Amino acid sequence: MTNLRDDPVGAATRAEERPVITLRGVKKYFPVREGVLQQIVGHVRAVDGVSFEIRQGQTLGLVGESGCGKTTLGRCIAGLTDTTGGGIYFRLSEADRMFLDEMDAVGQDRQTSEQQAKVESIERAHRIDRLKGETWRTYRRNCQFVFQDAFSSLNPRHLVKDIVGRPLRVYKEASGTDLTERVVELLESVGLGRQHLYRYPHQFSGGQRQRISIARALALDPEFIVLDEPTSALDVSVQSQILNLLHKLQQDRGLTYLFITHDLGVVRLMSDEIVVMYVGEVMERAGAQELFASPRHPYTEALLAANPDLLEGDEEAEMRGLEGTVPDPARPPRGCKFHTRCPVATPRCGWEVDDAVAWLSDNSTILEGLGGVERSSDFESVLRFAEPGTAAEAESLLASAAIPDAMRAALVELDQDGPELRIRFEEVDRVRLEDVDVGHMTSCILHTSQADLDSRP
Amino acid sequence: MVEAAARRPPASSPSGPLAIRVRRFGEITKEVLRNPTTTIGLVIIASLLLMALMAPIITEANTPDAYQMPRDWGAINEPPGTPGHLLGTTSTGGDVLYGVVWGARTSLRLSVIVVGITMVVGTIMGSIAGFIGGKVDEIIMRLVDVLLAIPELIFALAIAAVLGPSFGNIIFALTVVFWVKYARIIRGQIIHVKHNEYVDSARVIGDSKLNIYRKDVLPNSVTPVVVQATLDMGNIVLVAATLSFIGLAEAGLAEWGVLVSEGQAGISAGRWWASTIPGAMVFLWALAFNLFGDGLRDVLDPRTEGR
Ligand SMILES: Nc1ncnc2c1ncn2[C@@H]1O[C@H](COP(=O)(O)OP(=O)(O)O)[C@@H](O)[C@H]1O
Ligand code: SF4
Ligand SMILES: [Mg+2]
Repeated sequence: MTNLRDDPVGAATRAEERPVITLRGVKKYFPVREGVLQQIVGHVRAVDGVSFEIRQGQTLGLVGESGCGKTTLGRCIAGLTDTTGGGIYFRLSEADRMFLDEMDAVGQDRQTSEQQAKVESIERAHRIDRLKGETWRTYRRNCQFVFQDAFSSLNPRHLVKDIVGRPLRVYKEASGTDLTERVVELLESVGLGRQHLYRYPHQFSGGQRQRISIARALALDPEFIVLDEPTSALDVSVQSQILNLLHKLQQDRGLTYLFITHDLGVVRLMSDEIVVMYVGEVMERAGAQELFASPRHPYTEALLAANPDLLEGDEEAEMRGLEGTVPDPARPPRGCKFHTRCPVATPRCGWEVDDAVAWLSDNSTILEGLGGVERSSDFESVLRFAEPGTAAEAESLLASAAIPDAMRAALVELDQDGPELRIRFEEVDRVRLEDVDVGHMTSCILHTSQADLDSRP
Repeated sequence: MVEAAARRPPASSPSGPLAIRVRRFGEITKEVLRNPTTTIGLVIIASLLLMALMAPIITEANTPDAYQMPRDWGAINEPPGTPGHLLGTTSTGGDVLYGVVWGARTSLRLSVIVVGITMVVGTIMGSIAGFIGGKVDEIIMRLVDVLLAIPELIFALAIAAVLGPSFGNIIFALTVVFWVKYARIIRGQIIHVKHNEYVDSARVIGDSKLNIYRKDVLPNSVTPVVVQATLDMGNIVLVAATLSFIGLAEAGLAEWGVLVSEGQAGISAGRWWASTIPGAMVFLWALAFNLFGDGLRDVLDPRTEGR
């Protein structure tokens, strides 16, 4: 069984389903504070401009390495964390989304007052951080969250009955014996029962605790649930039981899922559509089958290569592993964020001074003689060495065949003047997510028309 | 279901909500009594409380104010064992046993009032600071820092000195001093607890801030406050005795510190009982609550509790 869906089709054929959640350029930056005065010295760009829709009745799988911002994005969608930029919308129609996109392109200053009024009314009706009163309550009820750690998400001092029945109490849906019966029903729907009502969370196994969490999430009969790595803390055998349960609940209740995981096997099993995230950005997005059959992004290929049993016949991809470390999200790479690890990076992928410095520090001892760096931009700096000889040595290293070809080709200026070495890389824009096929998007410039790779200077 | 069945309690036990809570209380009690030093502390506390509560039965209450030492000018400086004065008398004819018994009652009154008020005030202030955060937090914690910077004995001394010597003022002074510790403890706990995912779970279902504080944050933060309160039940009596010893309470009060102070002159003349016995009571009281508080801390430790 490769997919639990009875009808695992690409997103394209399901595109007529209405979106439940729409993300438009969502950003979440966490301030980095330092020193006694706790001054803000930078920002961790946990989520850095993410757009996609989650359609009614579907499972959207969000996959990426640990630390790439999946949980943060899920929390933003559930309204647990506020966003730094962009918007998250509930039940935004396709037409309204296109209108908003159009208006963004026009720019606020040049919109007519009618257009501005329409933007305002759409945002007030759909944008979750603008919802008030009854519309907010509707959203709150319809968007639930299942946390990764079922131990810490259940109050250790509350009985199962109070945990699962709490949403019903909050919305005054039930009380007394009626509440108890509703809780029993919910427990039964997740494979637990009446005998578990009066127990504390610590009296259950990990899988049972996750079932309790799921029962609580179902209590208000929501439309949409964020599942944040719901099985990654569980044993493999228990894992598949929970996945089957989630699938069955989705079928019975027509639920829409955002399924967050770092496990490609799990995401493939569960998803209709998959979004691949890396350092806060979407790298690729496609229908589940399509993504595994014909990935169009080197990062996706590298992830697949790390799980050889998931590959479908592409032996070449197996050769390209994932090397190096995830970049610091407080100082993400320019151009394509994956260029520091990409095995097929081109000169147009965003090479910058940091890459040259990192390479020198990894492959030589030359930086020990470095006095300072005068940075005019990410792409241009002057490295000042103690000795002119060291600067000359650094220059010849950076010009040699030892450094990656793509980085060397991106160097447009390498100029030694006494102890100073001026480095300048070709400046490139941030890569964009573009359509490459119906319902298939990628940000890799090898697959899109963003850069004309043959007409480099 | 293939998953490991619930481990505790046995699935057969009939369990309603009340039974569960009673059983849990029983478990904690059993845990407490497993440690012999804690048990000793508990036994001493129980005897002291019993003595305080039964004071009017053990001795004949002085009139009009039972908290004043009775004066029997016909029997001054009697040694312990004297008929009618089991623990002897003071140089002003006060019965030492009366002082011990009613002193326990004074101590109980004092510590319940001070601990009760400071615990509530400290918990409220610390909760506001920790739960709301931001500017409010900064202002409250500034105040707390200032109060904590001054040694509590000196601060209480200053207040009592300004307001004049009376036991009521000692109570007031101690109240002003002792709440900050609770504020600090509860704030730290809340800042830690409010990042738990069960708090986020409550937010996701749309419960109100007040309910989240009441049901999730406070109950999971309050354990160290309970422990501190137990320790303070002892410490406060010690501090109050110190203050009344140096003369900040009314003379003639049935209070251990006052008795130690009034009896000390006779020690050089061999009349040890009038000050040593009340002094031992202060020691016993503080020791008992500290033994019990320490044991309670181990049992209620969130790292071991309920796992
Ligand atoms: N509350 C926070 N404050 C500061 N940084 C955070 C916070 N939450 C997450 N981050 C940072 O944001 C990045 C993304 O984290 P997260 O969303 O948890 O990733 P994932 O779920 O994909 O593992 C990480 O670098 C993490 O350190
Ligand atoms: S744009 Fe494509 S080729 Fe360039 S670094 Fe990114 S993934 Fe690699
Ligand atoms: Mg995560």
